[in-house]
Amino acid sequence: MEARHSPALADYGLLGDTRTAALVSADGGIDWLCAPTFDGDPVFGALLGGPDAGTFRAGPALPGERIVRRYRPHTATLETVWATDGGTLTLAEAMVAEVSGRLLPTTLLIRRLEADGAPAEAAVEFNPRFGERHARPRVRQDQHLVCEWGALAMSLGVSGGMRVEPGTTTAITVEPGRPVVMVLALAYTEPLVWIDPETAWDLVEADEARWREWASGISEDIPFREAVLRSLLTLKLLTYSPSGAPVAAPTTSLPEDPGGIRNWDYRYAWPRDASIGIAAFLGLGKDGEALNFLNWLLHASRLQRPRLPALLTMTGGHVPRERTLASWPGYAGSAPVRVGNGAAHQHQLDGYGWVLDAAWNLVRQGHRLNSETWRAMRGFTDLVARRWPEPDAGIWEIRADAAQHVHSKIMGWLALDRALGIARSHRLSARRRRRWEGARDAIAADIRTHGFDAERNTYTRSYGSMDLDSALLILPVTGFESPDSPRLRGTVDAVWSELSAGYPFLYRYPPGQDGLPGDEGAFLPCSFWLAQALALTGRSAEAAALFGAVLGHASPLGLFSEEIDPGTGALLGNYPQALTHAALVQAALALRDALLVEPVETTPLVEPVETTPLVEPVETEADRAG
Amino acid sequence: MDWQGWALFGLLATTALTAVMIAFQMAGWTRLDLPLVLGSLVTPDPDKARIAGFFIHLAAGQVFALGYAAVFALLGQATWWIGALLGLLHVAVALTVILPLLPGIHPRMASTRAGPASRAALEPPGLLGLNYGIQTPAVAVAAHLVYGSLLGLLLTAS
Repeated sequence: MEARHSPALADYGLLGDTRTAALVSADGGIDWLCAPTFDGDPVFGALLGGPDAGTFRAGPALPGERIVRRYRPHTATLETVWATDGGTLTLAEAMVAEVSGRLLPTTLLIRRLEADGAPAEAAVEFNPRFGERHARPRVRQDQHLVCEWGALAMSLGVSGGMRVEPGTTTAITVEPGRPVVMVLALAYTEPLVWIDPETAWDLVEADEARWREWASGISEDIPFREAVLRSLLTLKLLTYSPSGAPVAAPTTSLPEDPGGIRNWDYRYAWPRDASIGIAAFLGLGKDGEALNFLNWLLHASRLQRPRLPALLTMTGGHVPRERTLASWPGYAGSAPVRVGNGAAHQHQLDGYGWVLDAAWNLVRQGHRLNSETWRAMRGFTDLVARRWPEPDAGIWEIRADAAQHVHSKIMGWLALDRALGIARSHRLSARRRRRWEGARDAIAADIRTHGFDAERNTYTRSYGSMDLDSALLILPVTGFESPDSPRLRGTVDAVWSELSAGYPFLYRYPPGQDGLPGDEGAFLPCSFWLAQALALTGRSAEAAALFGAVLGHASPLGLFSEEIDPGTGALLGNYPQALTHAALVQAALALRDALLVEPVETTPLVEPVETTPLVEPVETEADRAG
Repeated sequence: MDWQGWALFGLLATTALTAVMIAFQMAGWTRLDLPLVLGSLVTPDPDKARIAGFFIHLAAGQVFALGYAAVFALLGQATWWIGALLGLLHVAVALTVILPLLPGIHPRMASTRAGPASRAALEPPGLLGLNYGIQTPAVAVAAHLVYGSLLGLLLTAS
């Protein structure tokens, strides 16, 4: 089989069933699908492992001109349309997300090729492999093609009785009015469940109806509603249904620096991301999703309380030891490919702040924490009150020595402040209250003494450092400073100015300050945090312009990774990224609350908005090179 | 015939057999999920099927234990190794007759005679249950040896 070059990340669409997810390239190739869950081994791993790692392509036999690629409105069904001789060929595909209570495969992917206007010559390349060594399956052909690797089995049924051989490319002619439907089912430690391909599309239509109904519950007054909806739907697809855990991204080792070593495994759940997700869902009336996230957090952290791990598996277990897959070439030659994540053992003070803030948001929305939840929150708060003076790894999980990160201290302050807020309606001893209040005030004084640069009127990245940190853009949501505080406004302007990667992008900290070789891109959540900060400090017009400008750099399907190359606009890092989409939703909520922005767009594709920011962008090396 | 022993130890042996099967299934040795396969005879909900299937399996195990007790009474002795031999006979019948015949009576199991009206169906186990993994026969033999040995050990011949 001929090797394909690495498509741009923006060319990939996401399919998901809330247990695992697939990435589909613009030529119809499923190049990434792990089984049986997000953090399992890949059965299609060409994205990182090259052609020997497996793919499942369905599309035109010869490279066709792509006409359109889109998600069907408010659903998770992806459509790609190619021009063919005298007509079009459409690939529509989805994973069925809801199987509770029905005899269906836990993972079910359905793909349909349909010709319009004239018969279309198509090709199906089915080459499943499994795990680190790209193991070939044990194959048998029954009513369906069955591929087995011990406990894991996969079946492929194709309508019309068409047969597909693993490892080969099958040529087919798709006649107008006679679509070809392919049904891929996975089973892990249980029998396969077969779906008749002739009737399988009904399941996708039912799935679409469920997504549309879910989306219809999102309020109409949210600005940039279509982009927000796509982000929420993406967050839903990245939530592991059996536990409610949000996975940070469905991929590992997509590089922050193509060709470099900044390749990390994000197929785990970060309590920080979960908490940001709570705020995003709560802000749009999706209390059920928010409560699921919190329930997972409480369950997952149970064994290690009051310590809050930086990340966990989706079932609340320990994240595997970090190791590299030696023979994997990586995306665009970016080795090593890593599985597991060493950041799991870091002390990150900010995580407690995010979690307490999430609980506080639930309380503000009228939910009452049960005694177990409140006990867990008290434990987290006690830990913060005790350990806040210690250095930590910070939100960016830098693997060098721990430091006194200002953002972490602010989040520690936030943890105590929010806990005291919850205590207004929940039982708390006077002694504990005094201890928390004392610690909160001490943190505030410490930050203002050691973490503020009076000369530049900005908070800094860490005590005694001149560097800035884009994470400080969350200041307006914390209440640590009032919205009209000169310190807050000075910090927002300084971060925007000094960490700009060229409008509308920001670096998370000065590039090259993390002890690793190579470069990295601009950090997309920071742009949304900036939009949020601007909106919350009364600069709504600038916020809306910035927000729109960032949206203009989404993938054609409205998806974002974690970073972007500010010079080329190429998406970088694991994809799609839950944190970016959660930050997008939060920024939109801030814009809505600012009451100055009308809903302005109706499609997920938003043209870049050209505006002149009040702070001039800093010229980047890429700008100079260009 | 040891009726009291049959009533109690039949349940015990079936529970042990089921536990062995599930343990091997969870360890990834086989995809044969007996509670699911049996329970989906009566309900399409996999979670409920596993509950129902467990009790169906208990009942079936009790019926088979009756046969074991009768053989022991007929032979006038009950030992673990006679029980194990009966277990081998039992598993041979299960793998070569019962499992391959299941699609004929199972409303939610695929059959080569099914038509396009079919929606979702369990993959049939095939001969020796091999469709559920190449180690399935070995797992089934191990589980039935445990079942038969326990009955031989615990039942009396009288």
